[in-house]
Amino acid sequence: MATYIIRRTLQSIPILFGVALVSFAIIQLAPGSPIDRFRTPNVRPETLENLIRLYGLDQPVHIQFVNWITAFVQFWNVEAWGYSLVDGRSVRDTLVDRMPATLLLGGTALLVTIIFAVPIGILAAVRQYSWADKAITTFATIGYAIPSFLLGLYIAYLGTVVFRGLFPGFGMVSLPGTEGRGTPLDVAWHMVLPVTSLAIQQIAGWSRYVRAKMLEVLNQDYVRTAKAKGLSAAKVTYKHALRNALIPVITLFGLTLPGLLSGAVITETIFSWPGLGLLGVTAVTQRDYPVVLAFVMVGGFGVVMGNLLADILYGVVDPRIKY
Amino acid sequence: MTARHVGPLLEIKGIKTHFFTQDGVVKAVDDVTFEIGHGQTLGVVGESGCGKSITSLSVMRLIERPGKIVAGEIRLNGENLLDKTDADMRDIRGDQVSMIFQEPMTSLNPVFTCGDQIAEAVQQHTAVSRREAMDRAVEMLRVVGIPDPKRRAAEHPHQLSGGMRQRVMIAMALSTDPDLLIADEPTTALDVTIQAQILEVMRDLREKNRMAIMLITHDLGVVAEMADEVVVMYAGKVVERADVRTVFGSPHHPYTQGLLLSIPRLDERRERLEVIKGTVPSPLNLPEGCLFKRRCPHRMRVCDTAPPYQEVGSGHFSRCWLTPAGEAPDVGADAEGEEAQHAAEQLTVGAR
Ligand SMILES: Nc1ncnc2c1ncn2[C@@H]1O[C@H](COP(=O)(O)OP(=O)(O)O)[C@@H](O)[C@H]1O
Ligand code: SF4
Ligand SMILES: [Mg+2]
Repeated sequence: MATYIIRRTLQSIPILFGVALVSFAIIQLAPGSPIDRFRTPNVRPETLENLIRLYGLDQPVHIQFVNWITAFVQFWNVEAWGYSLVDGRSVRDTLVDRMPATLLLGGTALLVTIIFAVPIGILAAVRQYSWADKAITTFATIGYAIPSFLLGLYIAYLGTVVFRGLFPGFGMVSLPGTEGRGTPLDVAWHMVLPVTSLAIQQIAGWSRYVRAKMLEVLNQDYVRTAKAKGLSAAKVTYKHALRNALIPVITLFGLTLPGLLSGAVITETIFSWPGLGLLGVTAVTQRDYPVVLAFVMVGGFGVVMGNLLADILYGVVDPRIKY
Repeated sequence: MTARHVGPLLEIKGIKTHFFTQDGVVKAVDDVTFEIGHGQTLGVVGESGCGKSITSLSVMRLIERPGKIVAGEIRLNGENLLDKTDADMRDIRGDQVSMIFQEPMTSLNPVFTCGDQIAEAVQQHTAVSRREAMDRAVEMLRVVGIPDPKRRAAEHPHQLSGGMRQRVMIAMALSTDPDLLIADEPTTALDVTIQAQILEVMRDLREKNRMAIMLITHDLGVVAEMADEVVVMYAGKVVERADVRTVFGSPHHPYTQGLLLSIPRLDERRERLEVIKGTVPSPLNLPEGCLFKRRCPHRMRVCDTAPPYQEVGSGHFSRCWLTPAGEAPDVGADAEGEEAQHAAEQLTVGAR
């Protein structure tokens, strides 16, 4: 097991290198250049030349890549990821600052998702074609089909306008000067709408998946064997079927993890949630290249870690997997 | 337990199990009647799709929607299982009646150890501790001939071969000392040498436990080796029933004769095996009269009317118009309509 984890982790390195290469290429191919923001009518050409040399943009592309990647792996170094073109702060510190807000939001949404989606999916499968199943299917289809920006806006509208400000529609804490600002309760109160908005979409997908897997498993021969033993319906469903149905759900877990690291870009933007997602969007609109690249890399890192964790979890819960 | 019931262990009387599908009603089991005596082995044979599995699942009351047992009685030790509550039925399943299935590769739960799965059956039906149940599981694995049973009990099903898994299934089924074992094609998925070993285990345990077996198979060789009595099914109906010697020595129904001709034999050299011509009729498009008529070499006019289920010899029943001697019936091979119907009723009454 330990050797497997180590081997699997080492295998992630070339994948991460690929992610870095693609991220770098995309930035290179995108129109515009990092010094465009300094290009105003009264800037002298020599100043621009100096900037180009300062940032190493006069070097050939592959040298630029090597420079960037060697700097980037030194995540322990405050300077390594460069400085924001907008506020001049260390990019690494900015990302580290934003990380907790994103983890809090995404982690809570994931927890809420699991708490709701698993029982809902089981119910829909066990009572296939009942009114409950049909209601769940309808909800899931709508939740899945609605674009997240629309759902987010609608939930923001519901919480702030329809319910007259029952829940705050932006930020993570109350405005300065408000009593109890920044207490856990204050933060939780601010989380209600964004968590709801994220969770609804995820519950839609997850509950469908759990339902499908549960139906598949309920038709397996070993479920018939369990019934033939004289076990109760509850034991058949929750002991024999559920254990098997939840194994493939790990895949979804792995797919959800990157979102926990890089943030839910759209939801964070709508609710002005000060996480990585919002940071990324802002950086893109401001052409803050160092921040954008770091943001993309953190996202890519999340995907690779999600896959790695899913693979390891499979090994833990599925006795058929051998290393 | 209640006092020993006199009469057969299992009596199935006129059961009909129908599937109400979108395309129509599939009469998977249609008026099936037979008995199994204590300690007896009944072979149930017939081509794929003739209703063997649905008959056995009906006995277990494990028919799922859109299927339903719409008529008949299933008496175990004289008590009708169709009158039992779900809870009573659960106490019977896996205790008095156990079942093993065709697919040893998929019939065990992949996430639990073999020992756990056997112990679970034991604990479900007897008041024993977990440890005692586990000891029983290991003991059963030894009984069914699994080497190093203690180690195997701790293994997961994927670590065992198909033959070993079927042994585990048998161990599980027999761990509660059932009166009746239903074995639905227990050796079909296994290769020949393993098949012989599994049959050997079953024969051995049948003697030891004085247990009755309902052995479902489409392999007449297996029947010849194991069964006391035989029921031949075709398109949801029993078409012939007799003791094993009669079925092999003097089969009456043309379908049974066809099945026997299709067995490869070592003592005869045939250019090729005779196979029954044609295919099993679609359950949604069954012919009028005799269900076998489209494939039958003896077909007569009268076969357009449902044939009688008549006694053609002592304890030998056949659902066919041919006389016990295998000739065209007295009613006249050309009889039709009411005349034929009346004749069929007369002959059937004698049989029941
Ligand atoms: N769930 C179902 N829905 C509709 N028809 C079914 C269903 N299950 C079985 N049947 C039908 O019942 C008939 C008997 O099946 P089965 O008992 O499995 O045959 P076999 O003799 O091969 O074991 C088949 O014609 C099959 O099409
Ligand atoms: S009833 Fe007629 S068609 Fe049917 S098996 Fe007998 S002879 Fe053949
Ligand atoms: Mg079958």
